[in-house]
Amino acid sequence: MEWILLLEKSIWFGLAALGFGVLFSVPTRTMAAIYLMGAAGGLTKVVSMHLGLGIVMGTLAGAAVIGLLSIPAAHKRHAPPPVFAIPAVIPMVPGILAYRMMLGVIKLAGTVQPDTYTQVLSETVNNGLKVLFILMCLAGGVAIPMLITRKDSAKHIRFHTLIKD
Amino acid sequence: MENKESAVQYYDGQIVVVDDAEQFANATDQHLIKDLGKVLLEIGTILMSSGANTGRIRNNLNRISDAYGYKTELLISHRSLMLTISDERNCYHFNSLKRTPPHGVNFKVVTGISRLSWRVVDEKLSVAQIKKELDRLLSLPHYPRWVILTLVGLAGASFCRLAGGTLQDMLIVFAATSVGLFVRQESHKLQFNPYLCVYFASLTASLIAGLFVKFGFGNTHEPAFVTCVLFLIPGVPLINSFSDLIEGNLQNALIRGLSGLIISFCIALGLLTSTVIYQF
Repeated sequence: MEWILLLEKSIWFGLAALGFGVLFSVPTRTMAAIYLMGAAGGLTKVVSMHLGLGIVMGTLAGAAVIGLLSIPAAHKRHAPPPVFAIPAVIPMVPGILAYRMMLGVIKLAGTVQPDTYTQVLSETVNNGLKVLFILMCLAGGVAIPMLITRKDSAKHIRFHTLIKD
Repeated sequence: MENKESAVQYYDGQIVVVDDAEQFANATDQHLIKDLGKVLLEIGTILMSSGANTGRIRNNLNRISDAYGYKTELLISHRSLMLTISDERNCYHFNSLKRTPPHGVNFKVVTGISRLSWRVVDEKLSVAQIKKELDRLLSLPHYPRWVILTLVGLAGASFCRLAGGTLQDMLIVFAATSVGLFVRQESHKLQFNPYLCVYFASLTASLIAGLFVKFGFGNTHEPAFVTCVLFLIPGVPLINSFSDLIEGNLQNALIRGLSGLIISFCIALGLLTSTVIYQF
């Protein structure tokens, strides 16, 4: 039952990725790939979180899957890898955490109530750091294939060279 | 001399008065370098405003000028591009500066220019052909407005579901997101400051979602109110900022990051205004 819920989430991850693809006016031929990559990355994230990896490392795993998939997608659909990767990782942006951080900062800036202040402070710092690290993981995960293959253009990356390297 | 031949073909119809073949080759080379420089400046500024990272702009421009056998040096910044293109053999230089048009993400153009640069390498396109292809890319239509509004609305609804919203929350977020995006597009047309457009959109979307949360039609709650503004998140500036950062283009990385931060701040300000109005 839990696994079905996780699979259901991947549908929504894909749909959110597709929406951002349209917003960034990607070429029509790349849309199916963007949906699938968004879904695969999202599924990786929720499964790793389900296995107890934590939200930050889970996001890194999801973004890395998207980054690796963006290379074959770029070859097959003739478009640069970021065109696939950027819309596909955006659904993993931690909106709720960022919102809670913002509310916390506003509370901290208001009148000081000595009994709750420390608790609000620690929650806000915790949420804020999570947001920061998740965003860095998103961008870093996408960059992984370019970093390990040390190539300037995805046109020269093939999967067998990627494994050999 | 292959250089001369291509130059003759390119300057078809133009009278060039010369004494000998070498002088002719030099004169046309000078023209070619100037025209290529102008086209490269245009390509570079368009790439920057369409959401390519600094490394991609440099790669694309170098790829095209290498195919012509010229050397290009670039100074890439957020709102302007400086370029020096030179021919080592004759010591001709072309040096110019161009202002970048207002930023608006368009991956169709980024894809098109990337493919164009490879075609210049493989098929030896002339400068006139590059110009023609560039004009074609820029005239490609966007998706129809209703398609964008519907799919971005669906994306918002998906965000809501992922944050644990119910079906009812999803419908509210769908409506709020679509109207919010509509407001953003309209305020862009009225030429408001781009950050202000984000604020208007964020305020509209959160006011609509907040209305349902506040006056409680059913049991709408937090996820709807938060996820209705997520369609505004500056994903392209933030991710490009990081990729510029690790490639060592620190100046552009900082500027892009700051730009993304200001957009995030405007989103938060819109949400904050709604919370003050509804007194959550």
